[in-house]
Amino acid sequence: MTPSYSAAIDDVVSGCTNWRMWGRLGWQETKRRYRRTIIGPFWTTLSLSIFIFTLGILWAQLWKQDPKTYLPFLTAGMLAWGMVSTIITEGCSVFVAAEGLIKSLKFSYTLLTCAVVWRNLIVFFHHLVIYVGVMLYADVEVTANTLLVLPGLFFVAVNGLWVTTLLGIMCSRFRDIQQIVGSVLQISMFVTPIFWTPKQLGNRFILYVDLNPLYHYVDIVRSPLMGKAPALLSWEMVAAGTVVGWAVTLFCYSRFRRRLPYWI
Amino acid sequence: MASLALDNVTVDFPIYGVQKTFRGAIRSATGGLIRREGADHQHVSVRALDNLSLSIKHGDRLGIIGHNGAGKSTLLRLCAGVYEPANGRVLIEGKVSPLFNTAPGLDMDDTGYENIITCGLYLGMTREEIARKTPDIEAFSELGEYLSLPTKTYSTGMLTRLGFAIATAIDPEILVLDEGLGAGDARFAEKAKRRVDALIERASVLILASHSDALIKSLCTRAILLQSGRIMVEGSVDEVNEAYRKLNQATDTNPALSADQFLHSTSAY
Repeated sequence: MTPSYSAAIDDVVSGCTNWRMWGRLGWQETKRRYRRTIIGPFWTTLSLSIFIFTLGILWAQLWKQDPKTYLPFLTAGMLAWGMVSTIITEGCSVFVAAEGLIKSLKFSYTLLTCAVVWRNLIVFFHHLVIYVGVMLYADVEVTANTLLVLPGLFFVAVNGLWVTTLLGIMCSRFRDIQQIVGSVLQISMFVTPIFWTPKQLGNRFILYVDLNPLYHYVDIVRSPLMGKAPALLSWEMVAAGTVVGWAVTLFCYSRFRRRLPYWI
Repeated sequence: MASLALDNVTVDFPIYGVQKTFRGAIRSATGGLIRREGADHQHVSVRALDNLSLSIKHGDRLGIIGHNGAGKSTLLRLCAGVYEPANGRVLIEGKVSPLFNTAPGLDMDDTGYENIITCGLYLGMTREEIARKTPDIEAFSELGEYLSLPTKTYSTGMLTRLGFAIATAIDPEILVLDEGLGAGDARFAEKAKRRVDALIERASVLILASHSDALIKSLCTRAILLQSGRIMVEGSVDEVNEAYRKLNQATDTNPALSADQFLHSTSAY
């Protein structure tokens, strides 16, 4: 398969810059999911807040943690994890679900991946309501570090784009990958420090946490929300992930983008 | 100047998931050739277009005629840039507007107005263009208040009218058209025909696929006859229609007649 980097880069650039289109696609999909419900997207916010409050208080008791430090950690972690894992899950089906469109129109497929990332950012923003409640309860201070959530979200979005593109292409050709990704994510939710802190694990196993890329993507959003700056290691891992991820994605996308309509 | 050139293009559709259940090479009567490749013949593919070359210039009105499975739709999608060929090159100059089934990106949960915007954007219109065309779409689709309701409340005919109205509101350069574009009841069909005629007038290049020799004759200036992914005859509309009729007679008397045999029998043309 002869690679065509110019076509792949052109697809990515023209897709990303057409914000009017993906902005609309992501927003329409959000509206569609909650049509005819009264509180709309806040249903997921409500169920997530019940989850966090009941389990947060239970686990704080079980692990002898102070709820005022544990609840902000759990809430910020769940919000970040929800966004990261949903982007990965939806990346698997992004192209397969758009079969009709891809087979009848020439357009930038990146529009579809941008829409997935954008919709998950929208979900994240309205879930922030829970976090505001928890902040008030636990007296979390808003500091200059809180602003670091913006670069954090930016990097989640930039990485979300390559993840959805790469997984979307791979899952179109090999349908097993979607199942594998689902299983891995399910386990990752427990293996990644979201319910527990890396400190609780102790120094012996800390290497496993540091090597887990998902931990760092969660942390660049979670730490700022808790008023703390993310560790330098997290920025380094995310930077490396961005470069390596996009390199691998462009390598694959330049070769297999043109095969996509044949695979789905 | 809009133009389109296909240079020795071949299109193979890989078929996945049939390797274990599907045995033996089968040559179907009208479809593309089913091929098996690889060490254990584990790669199955259908050859939809076979080493085909075609040049379409500004002002051309090309009709593509042929049986089901001859490769018409694949050729249209290739011209629209949807598929890229396995071999050969496609050179497209100008903006291609494909019109296959209904409007692309139509969502049943969205209202008529929301769909006008989404589909319009997919078809390459700007928001300003869409706003400008909306009164025309409203008038033509005759949907009135229904445009504010979700499209799932529409009858099949209403949905067809909406899709058709949006899809034909474009200002195409290269118009790629499938005859299967439905148009609702008889009264609407007459209106739809006038609208398609006007659309074709606006286009610099028309590529139309059809089973109907009458339709091709009324709209096209030149034609090709497609069979098993190859161009059997290329020329004036009358020449090609004549060959199509002969092909129909020949396959009626001898359904197993292969494309090659037919090519030889009509090589006197």
